Amino acid sequence: MNLPVTKAPAWHGTIAWDALLNGMATGLFMAGGVSELAAPAIFTPVAIVAYPVALVLLLIDLGLLVSDLGDPLRFHHMLRIFKPRSPMSVGTWCLSIFSLPLTAAAGLSLLSEIGINFEWARILAVIVGLPFGFGSAAYKGVLLSTNAQPGWRDARWMGGYLTNSAILIGCAELLLLSALIGRAQATAILRTAFIVLLVINTIPLGLLFADLQPTHARLYTHGQQWLVGVLMFAAATIIPLGLALYSDSFPFVVGAVIFLLFGSWVIRFVYVKIPHTSLI
Amino acid sequence: MELAALQQASDQPRGRLSELVERLVYPFRRGEPPEPRPATGFYTDTTVCIGCKACEVACKQWNQLPSDGFIWSGNSYDNTSELSATTWRHVKFIEQFGEGSSAERGSMDVTVSDHNRWLMMSDVCKHCLAAPCHQACPTGAIIHNEFENVYIQADICNGCSCCVAACPFGVITRSNMGGHSHKCTLCYDRQRDGLEPACAKACPTQSIHFGPLDELREMAHNRVEELHRRGVPEAYLYGDVASDTYSELHSFYLLVDRPSVYGLPDNPFNPWLHMMGDYVRSVAGGLAAIGALLVVVVLLRS
Repeated sequence: MNLPVTKAPAWHGTIAWDALLNGMATGLFMAGGVSELAAPAIFTPVAIVAYPVALVLLLIDLGLLVSDLGDPLRFHHMLRIFKPRSPMSVGTWCLSIFSLPLTAAAGLSLLSEIGINFEWARILAVIVGLPFGFGSAAYKGVLLSTNAQPGWRDARWMGGYLTNSAILIGCAELLLLSALIGRAQATAILRTAFIVLLVINTIPLGLLFADLQPTHARLYTHGQQWLVGVLMFAAATIIPLGLALYSDSFPFVVGAVIFLLFGSWVIRFVYVKIPHTSLI
Repeated sequence: MELAALQQASDQPRGRLSELVERLVYPFRRGEPPEPRPATGFYTDTTVCIGCKACEVACKQWNQLPSDGFIWSGNSYDNTSELSATTWRHVKFIEQFGEGSSAERGSMDVTVSDHNRWLMMSDVCKHCLAAPCHQACPTGAIIHNEFENVYIQADICNGCSCCVAACPFGVITRSNMGGHSHKCTLCYDRQRDGLEPACAKACPTQSIHFGPLDELREMAHNRVEELHRRGVPEAYLYGDVASDTYSELHSFYLLVDRPSVYGLPDNPFNPWLHMMGDYVRSVAGGLAAIGALLVVVVLLRS
């Protein structure tokens, strides 16, 4: 039997939260930015609420990332070089750069709330931030799949799922904010987008699940595999989809978003823990 | 020369602000890289290892690595268990007693003699030519030094553990003391002074050979041929040449059983072979979602 000889990195539950918060922050910014740029009259009031929320989420995420280092005071050592072949280096640079236009967009959004409006500057910050926000979302899955750890090394669609999921989560958060501040037209459009994205997200999730099927087979009994699969698909897709389709009322929107976030966290937690629970 | 006559040098005491600035600026300073030297490495002939652990002791002693405590592992005479941040050499003991024939053991490529035996192997960092740990490191702490050895700059590493996750041999470990990654340096300090690594120097049976890689490879091939002539047809070299999925190792081995018997991957795989494809899927997944969102917004905005 070819037993694995790798050592599991000291990445535990923190990284599952990091992966979720990364998706929540980058996804909210991108969903807000794309919607605002495509239909400013409808989405600007929602977007200016979304950017500060995305900044708070990103700050929490960065706090988790830094605290998970062996020597957190050396975080800035990541910025001494740029190394395209290192997903962590790509991610660190994307996150660092992304934080600047996001901060600008959030700050200018808050200023606009008190009547000081620099709309052109905010739009510019959003445009500059979009590619780096996208990079910040896209690196995470590649970081997890480009290594020697059992399970992760086979997860070819980890990146595809996480990036796709980030946009879905961002759309869900934007939908929730829109419903909270009572923007009916934005809410209606985002609800439709949310349903479409939920359906699309089943493709990379299914492919990721298929990638990891041999790993699941080794880690879990047949019954547990079913439970994990049902839990993942039900919490992250079927229940939110059912709630969103059933009604556009506020409680159903809240329920759909909560289930999506819970399901997304479960998926991240299960997959982040694979090397630590592997019996392969 | 008397010790007191040596020039004494120490850093000037700094204030807190100065200390902070130094801490921030220090990692960005660049020194002159040393001139490349002939590539060096290890060739470990496991057939002559007697499991004396002199290499482990010499490594600990020279590199001033702390004790790991003592536990009875229950695994033969191996109470070290594994390579770690404080154990850079590890002698493995593999007992093959009463396990049946080679066919029953599932031997694939080599024919294993059916008599009982005890395999021993001094394990160490493989100093891979295309090292996944080096590719993963986001700080540039892991470098190939002038001897083409994989070296961790301890003052740069920030303990992100990407190297730990990337190593297919399970060599690198993050220390609980300081939180940085550590592994064999191939006695970089000794090499710079023209000395061989402490483990190779201490090995009483010349199981561990150190030297320029070309010479080591020739020596290893001659040894394999000699063993074949002397009735050990299962002898072969592990890691001396690149495979389709992994580069050659600058620390390679002469083995007489499957790699996995020694706790080595049978077919090591460099995870970076997948990276571009993984990025493409990641970007495609994101673009598909953004495209769908954009279509819905544009279609429904009016």
